[in-house]
Amino acid sequence: MHVLLCEDDDLIASGIVAGLDAQGLTVDLVATASAARAMLAAAHFDVMVLDLGLPDEDGLKLLRQLRQQGIELPVLILTARDTVTDRVDGLQAGADDYLLKPFDLRELSARLHTLIRRMAGRSVNVIAHGCLTYDPSSREARLAGQPVDLSRREQALLHALLHNHGRVMSGEQLKDCVYGFGDEVESNALNVHIHHLRRKLGGGVIETVRGLGYRLGPAGHDTENLAQ
Amino acid sequence: MMSLRLRLSLTLGGAFILIWILAAAWMLLDLRMQMMDSLDQRLAASARMVAGLMDQMEMPEQQGSGINAERLAVSSPMACEVSSLRGEILARSHNTPQSPLTADESGYRDQVINGESWRSFTLTHGEVRITTADRQQERDVLGRSVLLAASVPVLVALLGSLAVLWFVIGQGLAPLNRMRDALKRRNADSLEPLDVPGLPNELQPLLKTQNQLFQRIAQTLERERRLTGDAAHELRSPLTAIKTHLQVAQMTEGASRDKALAHAEEGADRMHRTLEQLLLLARVEGSLSFDDGVLCDAEKVARLAIHDAAHGNEQCIELIITPQVSTAPVEMPAVLAIAALRNLLDNALRHTAANTRVQLTLQTVAGQAHFLVRDHGAGIPEPDLDKLTQRFWRTGTSPGAGLGLAIVQAIVLRCACSLRFDSQSDGLRVELQMPLQGSSSPGTA
Repeated sequence: MHVLLCEDDDLIASGIVAGLDAQGLTVDLVATASAARAMLAAAHFDVMVLDLGLPDEDGLKLLRQLRQQGIELPVLILTARDTVTDRVDGLQAGADDYLLKPFDLRELSARLHTLIRRMAGRSVNVIAHGCLTYDPSSREARLAGQPVDLSRREQALLHALLHNHGRVMSGEQLKDCVYGFGDEVESNALNVHIHHLRRKLGGGVIETVRGLGYRLGPAGHDTENLAQ
Repeated sequence: MMSLRLRLSLTLGGAFILIWILAAAWMLLDLRMQMMDSLDQRLAASARMVAGLMDQMEMPEQQGSGINAERLAVSSPMACEVSSLRGEILARSHNTPQSPLTADESGYRDQVINGESWRSFTLTHGEVRITTADRQQERDVLGRSVLLAASVPVLVALLGSLAVLWFVIGQGLAPLNRMRDALKRRNADSLEPLDVPGLPNELQPLLKTQNQLFQRIAQTLERERRLTGDAAHELRSPLTAIKTHLQVAQMTEGASRDKALAHAEEGADRMHRTLEQLLLLARVEGSLSFDDGVLCDAEKVARLAIHDAAHGNEQCIELIITPQVSTAPVEMPAVLAIAALRNLLDNALRHTAANTRVQLTLQTVAGQAHFLVRDHGAGIPEPDLDKLTQRFWRTGTSPGAGLGLAIVQAIVLRCACSLRFDSQSDGLRVELQMPLQGSSSPGTA
């Protein structure tokens, strides 16, 4: 899951980045509204965490502008402004959630997961695909009830495929989901992760669509089926 | 408290009644005197008429008692008596009392006969004395009926005036009532301007003042609200950093844990600084005393401020002391003088370009110490100069809390100093003036 964090306070930003990273989320950090715009144009994000007091312009203004452009990216406002007016203004400007500083990292992470889940139209956290289940918040994958040990890149890749259920995703899109903007990515890294996922979950879990990219394979109801 | 309407009505009504009563008493007294005068004249006229009639009769039987008083045609309430100069009664009207009315002298006379008061007039005419008389009681009855006839209209007019007074005062005070109702209808914490249509000119300034007051209160409340919001923000931000990094430290191990803990400590330091500044600001703006009896001359203030601001790296501030600087102590608590200068230096250090030094020039002129702090930063745009000393105002990504210059301004206001900013493209120059003790004799000793 790829998070865009828009926060101008270095100390807070580094804490959020480290915390969300430890929770298995991929975070890109920007400190200004203009940088946020550039980032949104350059890569795909699943959710945005927005601080309101940005140095170049007000976060609410950025948010309104994004909504006017038709960008439906879920946005969570993270701010120290606690009056009811501020909250109402934030939600009316197009925010999906509002979290007050100081906050709990686990709560932030849970809310981000909820926002993404709602965006995908799911009401429970665990994503099931046949006998394969994945819980984005605990980052636990199970195959026919048995836990499967996945690396964090593999988790992110599996989450991206499950989240975009059945849709074909290009290699670039998948890389956006798995890596942060600044991460060094080797050219065949994605293939390596796909290979590992297939080895751990069965060859049928990811289908290669030649020339276009990858998508989630058909749901299997036992391990045999997936292993075909 | 009595209502304004009742009070006005009572005062004006009382004055009305008093004036009307005095006027009425005056009028009635006058009327009574006039009436008595005319009645007296009637007595005299009647007596002369009787004398005239007697002349015409040329009575042969002058000695007899045959004069028929009824023929003398004297009107009935009036008594008439004709007597000889010797006191012999020649004739009398039938309603004349039996005792003789006749007086010895001519003219008006009051007398009591048989318990009744009479007013008489005696005319000596040739051989006879003619006396006419009125009963005082009849005069009184007449007087009372005149009094009654005159006082009823007066009373009606008075009551009418009082009613009109009550009504007109009510009408006149209606705008005040409208204003009172408009105030009553307001919410206790509403600060919207009052709108009362059709107020007279006298009340317009009141409404205007009231609305200006509401506006000022609203602005003050808004400023306080924003200030609290800003203070909350400034305290919550480092708190958030501390909490977040502590949680990261719990989740991670090894190097990233140490890093998170170091960051948490940095956040705690920042919070500490902000709190200290907020407290200092509150104390400077409050009425607490800072005077600890320590005397400190301008040079010492400069050196201590540099020590505090430089955090051990005193190379970053260049102190230039002009020759013959006064050693008189500053005319303010030393701790405030140092805090003000230190905040200016902090600010300059924060904004000066990398690898440049901040200059602090000290000179004393005419009982004032001039501290000139100059940095080599980008300066401040002209329109922002006024905002410099606002609480929580800071430029873009400045790491401060935006309180330093607000503290300086508060100290300047409290201790009769002066502060001047001069921004140029090669840096900001700030001049802080402090009064020196014994400023009448700027010494060089």
